[in-house]
Amino acid sequence: MAPPVIVLDRVAKRFAGHTAVDALSLEVSAGLIYGLLGPNGAGKTTTIRMIMGIIEPDQGAVRLFGDQTRMANRARNHSARIGYLPEERGLYRKMRVLDVLVFLAEMKGVERRVARVKATEWLERLGLSDWRLRRIDELSKGMQQKVQFISTILHQPELVVLDEPFAGLDPVNTQVLKDTVLELRRHGVTILFSTHIMEQAEKLCDELCIIARGRRLVEGALSDIKRTHSGHHLTIGFDGSPGAATQIFADKALVKKIDDYGQYAELELAVGADPQQILRELIGSGARLSRFELTEPSLNKIFIDLVGPEAARAEARPGA
Amino acid sequence: MRRVWAVIRREFVERLRSRWFWISAVLGPLFFGAMIFLPLLFTGSGGIKRIVVIDGTTTRFGARVADSLDRGSTFAVVARMPLRAGLVDSLARQVGLHRLEGLLLVTDATIETGAAEYRAANVSAFRDVAELQGVLGRLAVNERLERAGVDPATVSRAQLRIKLETKKIAGAKTTGESSAESFSLAYVMAIVSFVAIAVYGVNVMSSVLEEKTTRIVEVLVSSLPAFQLMLGKVLGVGAVSIFQFMVWGLGGRLLLSQRAALAGRLAPLDSEPAVFQMPRLSAATIAIFLSYFLGGFLLYSAMFAAVGAMSSNEQEARQAQQPVMFLLMLAYLSVFALAGDPASTYSIALSLIPFTAPIAMPVRWAAGSVARSEVAASLALLVGGIAVVTWVAARIYRVGILMTGKRPNLRELARWVRA
Repeated sequence: MAPPVIVLDRVAKRFAGHTAVDALSLEVSAGLIYGLLGPNGAGKTTTIRMIMGIIEPDQGAVRLFGDQTRMANRARNHSARIGYLPEERGLYRKMRVLDVLVFLAEMKGVERRVARVKATEWLERLGLSDWRLRRIDELSKGMQQKVQFISTILHQPELVVLDEPFAGLDPVNTQVLKDTVLELRRHGVTILFSTHIMEQAEKLCDELCIIARGRRLVEGALSDIKRTHSGHHLTIGFDGSPGAATQIFADKALVKKIDDYGQYAELELAVGADPQQILRELIGSGARLSRFELTEPSLNKIFIDLVGPEAARAEARPGA
Repeated sequence: MRRVWAVIRREFVERLRSRWFWISAVLGPLFFGAMIFLPLLFTGSGGIKRIVVIDGTTTRFGARVADSLDRGSTFAVVARMPLRAGLVDSLARQVGLHRLEGLLLVTDATIETGAAEYRAANVSAFRDVAELQGVLGRLAVNERLERAGVDPATVSRAQLRIKLETKKIAGAKTTGESSAESFSLAYVMAIVSFVAIAVYGVNVMSSVLEEKTTRIVEVLVSSLPAFQLMLGKVLGVGAVSIFQFMVWGLGGRLLLSQRAALAGRLAPLDSEPAVFQMPRLSAATIAIFLSYFLGGFLLYSAMFAAVGAMSSNEQEARQAQQPVMFLLMLAYLSVFALAGDPASTYSIALSLIPFTAPIAMPVRWAAGSVARSEVAASLALLVGGIAVVTWVAARIYRVGILMTGKRPNLRELARWVRA
């Protein structure tokens, strides 16, 4: 099996007085889309900057492509294999589109001639070929975002690191980006991206890690995470009156929380409660059921459950 | 190394593409020329000063002074009046109304004790005052000698002016360069060096700032070390400055080769060839100028890069660059002292200190001859200075380009350097 593309081993980073990332470990396997999720100020950008070798961790180790060396410029050694889109965007405003792309590709070790050809191809593909000789500051914001995305992947990296790639994108560009990311994965590219928008993460991620206040709360395959958090939610529909069923819902040993809509109820089960027991008791009560479904919680729900209290504390921290 | 090359290339090509480069390539020499020659041009052309000579003497001395001044090209004596009460005040009012430039008061005391008085709207005009002093002095001496019974013919023979021809000795060879030429060359080199270092240093600073504010720097430093990025920037902008000098040099050569043709069209310029004599530029002088310019540029642009890295916007950068600018101005403001006495301890010190040497040494070199050992010592110190300053600047740069928020104070800067 191929070694993981990224390994963080108990990585920590402190900035004047506060800990941005605290003993964070994670592994990103090759060929997957990996989501780094967390509320604002959770330490996502700091983590990504450490992966990119822009800042050095105070403790722990970052390994890329199975490279065991602990060199300071590890990411730079592999920079030709990595594409990176920083959180805050910008390009040389006075440069021509094509020149910017060629220059940034050169930084990744691509030869000028090759870079020109590839840049032209990509511009055409994203509908910008008419703009290739225009200056960046003549482009709309959406077009600039496209150009910057092209610059991230022009050198055909094996690993693409995107920090909040969907922030500030309109729906059309969001779609373009999503399609491109999925296509990259089809070509075997590993993608790490950070976001605090769970809907996107849920649609794209194969694996993910949720962090808050610099600490890992959960890591693993999206399906596993959902599985461990599912089975706790139950949706029940009644054909007619719930009757005696309401007494069952009042049992704190079975039900932790209930949203009762009369004909229809959403239950959060108590820890250790068995849904099958509830089913048996409901049938025993004589209620007629039209629906009995163990629901998968949305990633959003999992996220809020996990992060909620953490986020509230994080908000209180100044300068987060 | 290929990446550093790409950074150099980008800085070079993008700058050459900008309209401003070509505007300054054309306007630069005009600007420098104006800065250097306009003051010279206007010094002598303040127009003829209308003055009144108030004659309080009992001899013909006052009349002689008035005649002599009137014959000169600086003054027109519009009236000669004997001294009487209230006259000075009423004439002063005329000066206040700009009907007169000034009034000269001579009395017998002028001959006896040398006291005379010139009241004018503008008494800081050196040329006027020098002319007055010259005329009064010469006539007073004549008068005193005649009173002592010396024959007027002997007096005028004794007063034959000395024509001191100045020629600079450089490296044991006498050059054809006069002191005026030496000085103007020194002055021109100081101005060009100062302006070019400041302009291109600020260029480096804004380039750093642009990458910082647009966050491109994050992408760049994940591809090449911060030091190489800074180096590429400094070298790229430096190459532009050298190219700029080449453009000016070639343009200048072209103009000079067409001098005869141009002079035919611009007749007035030709009439005063002595003033506009081009100082001869020896290969050694050009080499000294360029090496010190380059050294100064490297030294200062590293500092400007650090300033750009520690600021988060143009406004902050403008403030933060001030100490660097002051340092650069130190030598520039000393040009007169340097050219006036190139061998003084002050001049030698300035030409050895790395921060002032880039301007001070070429000025000393042009104004007087400098021992090779001194140039060697100064260059060695400059190179050492560049190494130290670049090391410190690179450390500030490395941390600064990724920092946002408020500008660091000195203590934080020190921590960045140590980190």
